Amino acid sequence: MKKHFALLFLLLTVAGVNAQIAANIVRTKTAGVDLVAYKTGVKDVITFRGSLPAGDSFAPKDNVAIPTLVGEMLDQGTQKHDKFAIAAELDNIGAKISFSVDGVNVNFAGKCLTKDLPVVISLLAEQLREPAFSAAEFNKVKKQLEGDYTRALDSTDFQAKQAFSEMIYPAGHPNYTPPVQEFLAAVKTATVDQLKKFHAEYYGPAQANLVVVGDFDPKALQTAVEKSFAGWSGGKWRPNFAKATPADSPEAKNVFLADKPNVTVILGQATGLKYTDPDALALRVGTAILGNGFTGRLMANVRDKQGLTYGIGAAVANDTFTDGDWFIRANFSPALLEKGMISTKRELDSWYQDGVTTGELDRTKSKLVGTFKVGMATTDGMAGAISSAINRGYDLDWLDKYPDLINSLTLDQVNAAIKTHIQPANLTVIKAGTVETQPNEP
Amino acid sequence: MKFRHLPAVIVLFATAFAAALTHAGDKTPVTVPGFTFVKSAGGISEYVFDKNGLQVLLLPDHSSPTLTYMVTYRVGSRNEVTGTTGATHLLEHLMFKGSPNFNRGKGNNIDQLLERVGANYNATTWLDRTNYYANLGSDHLEQYLAVEADRMRNLWLRDSDRKPEMTVVRNEFEIGENNPVSALEKEIFAGAYIAHPYHHSTIGWRSDIENVPIEKLKAFYDTFYWPDNATATVIGDFDPEKALGLIAKYYGDYPRAPQPVPQVYTEEPEQTGPRRVTVKRAGQLGVVGVGYKIPSARDPDQPALQILGSILTSGKNSRLYKSLTDNNLTTNVSADTGFFHDASLQIFYANLAPDATHEQVEKILLAEIEKVKKDGVTDDEVRAATGQILADFAYARDGSFAIASTLNEYIAAGDWTLYTTINDALKKVTAADVKRVAEKYLVENKSTTGWFIPKVPDAARTQAESR
Repeated sequence: MKKHFALLFLLLTVAGVNAQIAANIVRTKTAGVDLVAYKTGVKDVITFRGSLPAGDSFAPKDNVAIPTLVGEMLDQGTQKHDKFAIAAELDNIGAKISFSVDGVNVNFAGKCLTKDLPVVISLLAEQLREPAFSAAEFNKVKKQLEGDYTRALDSTDFQAKQAFSEMIYPAGHPNYTPPVQEFLAAVKTATVDQLKKFHAEYYGPAQANLVVVGDFDPKALQTAVEKSFAGWSGGKWRPNFAKATPADSPEAKNVFLADKPNVTVILGQATGLKYTDPDALALRVGTAILGNGFTGRLMANVRDKQGLTYGIGAAVANDTFTDGDWFIRANFSPALLEKGMISTKRELDSWYQDGVTTGELDRTKSKLVGTFKVGMATTDGMAGAISSAINRGYDLDWLDKYPDLINSLTLDQVNAAIKTHIQPANLTVIKAGTVETQPNEP
Repeated sequence: MKFRHLPAVIVLFATAFAAALTHAGDKTPVTVPGFTFVKSAGGISEYVFDKNGLQVLLLPDHSSPTLTYMVTYRVGSRNEVTGTTGATHLLEHLMFKGSPNFNRGKGNNIDQLLERVGANYNATTWLDRTNYYANLGSDHLEQYLAVEADRMRNLWLRDSDRKPEMTVVRNEFEIGENNPVSALEKEIFAGAYIAHPYHHSTIGWRSDIENVPIEKLKAFYDTFYWPDNATATVIGDFDPEKALGLIAKYYGDYPRAPQPVPQVYTEEPEQTGPRRVTVKRAGQLGVVGVGYKIPSARDPDQPALQILGSILTSGKNSRLYKSLTDNNLTTNVSADTGFFHDASLQIFYANLAPDATHEQVEKILLAEIEKVKKDGVTDDEVRAATGQILADFAYARDGSFAIASTLNEYIAAGDWTLYTTINDALKKVTAADVKRVAEKYLVENKSTTGWFIPKVPDAARTQAESR
């Protein structure tokens, strides 16, 4: 189950304007792992991130919580060291390793100083390959998850996102998240044997990748990965997931939470589009014109002119490995909720009916390409861009082609993508907060 | 800390490794007419613009073709009084509404200019300062600097802008109130401070946000937004001589503040007994927060307090993790060690697990603190905590924006050079120091304890969720 939620209004993931990017990336198959290394000008710091397909959509039929529980157990000790020993080793060198599970993957990420790279790679490999699955730790993790999710129920953002996912995706789709109570019930009945079985079946290098960015010697990195992951085998390849069907009628749900001075609103739909589909980039650019940044139509009008919200934006998301979703997300005071919804829908209708303008398209192209240059200036930003490229299945030179791809989009392509893939009459509308329990719209 | 826009992570302590960033080819310090070089530390050079007292900090780093330009005003919510709480933050929002020279009608408003070049830009307000920044391609420095300098003195401050922006800020306030922990933190500070303006949070009280008149905001602007109350910082890919030249070009028309910028003289009276606050609202799980009075960021005991906070709450080997979270009594624990211009709070938070009670968790938390005071900590604990903090410092110099964000807090604290000396100070902290500061500051009579007690949600309404 998705535990870590990205900011909803992040700018579109960007790729390269610097023609040197792909040429300076060293990509090797090392101990079966797709190892992608990029050395930057930063001193002493290394950022890494990676993934392999062992996410929630691979859960066995009898328990939806198994992939998340396996991910949670990765930092609870290995067959060689208990969790305190591993934490002490990382703490002493100031290194960080974290794990998370989403609908498709188990993801791992971390930071360390240059001198500590071999140690950290060794610990990462140990945690991925040899989790202890101790019964005592497993019981603690179960209770910890119960607490984490119970606390999350207090959040209007969490509740809105949860409801949206449940309603626009069918069960089994990688972007579907089961209701919290269903998930927690599965946590209670899960067994260590189920975890071990899942780990044995899904954890391996088949489609594992590791992106390393920062200050390091690529050869030394390969040596460390070769040594730590030697003999690792197995794992699975991601299948072609079945696509969700965009709704053919409107739906609405209000989630009541008492004592909430702010309402989180999401209105959106499944798109049926993967990032690599032909219209996907045009739809993203069109959506950026509607709802990205302070000059996007939603912020410029619903916030700046009318003062109805602190934050509102639109985005296309969750489309890296499978078809994703399109949504507007906003915050409104209960007293301004109705006005806010009317204003939001007015902007949406105008955008859909009349399309975007040449001036808006030109400015947005410039913004998206410029954002890349800034985003690449950190190891986190560079690692994110490289990961996005390889996870989408592109060759690395896609990073260098991205500006041209953006700049080559025409006004007709963008407006056609909006008309073809967005259905304002059939959106799913979620309101979470101190709201009436019976939705009166759409 | 309050933002005009989306929050970002601020690492309070920063790096002392800045020297490593300076490109060997840069001449520092440089000589530019009209600027007086003050000092250099950790690769950062400080200058003063003689004409109006603007402080300038320069840190060249050519590892990528980007830079961050930031202006920090030494005004925050500590400069507010009853009736104007939240004014610093509301004014920060209004700083984006334009001026006769740069505005939406002309197509050159700051949002329009900066989004067009893909800049990461924003502004934030906190207790001691307000900052405006953009992280952007280095070829756009002059374009941004021109508009940033312009709004220092030429801002439109119109009631027609205040009205819609007031409801924007009020919604920001409401979003904060949605979070029980945020509401509890406000109550702890309000309980801990009787006289000093840290009593109120940066977002301000709702009625002040709604009613502060534009005239008071104008007066605030005309009191604090002057070059001699500001620091301009440039970090990244730039030429120091050219950068100073641009600063002279765009800030050169401004005089010093016509009146001395007023200083906060209110001191918090000594706390002589423990205080307690309670927040009861609908919610799922409780929270315990215990805050203690600690000295300002410039106090030599700050590094030991940072290490104390880490030993108690950071990571699986921390004492409160082992005694609370690992026993499924809390979902997580944390320490928030204030790093501010004036004496602040170190607050230990414990988020309760489903079956835990406030009494049980508070008792264990206090017992762990007493153990530190009585028995001290080990050298290994100090070593691990120091290692973590130092590594975090190194990670916090990943890019010019990260450096600017951390340096900003040292400027606000009143001595930017601490940014360059804090690592050495941390390395000198001993186990005895940690025990000493625990004994000195984690004192019951100077504590404020807060409980968030969740009220059971209305089951009938919850079940009535419907499509």
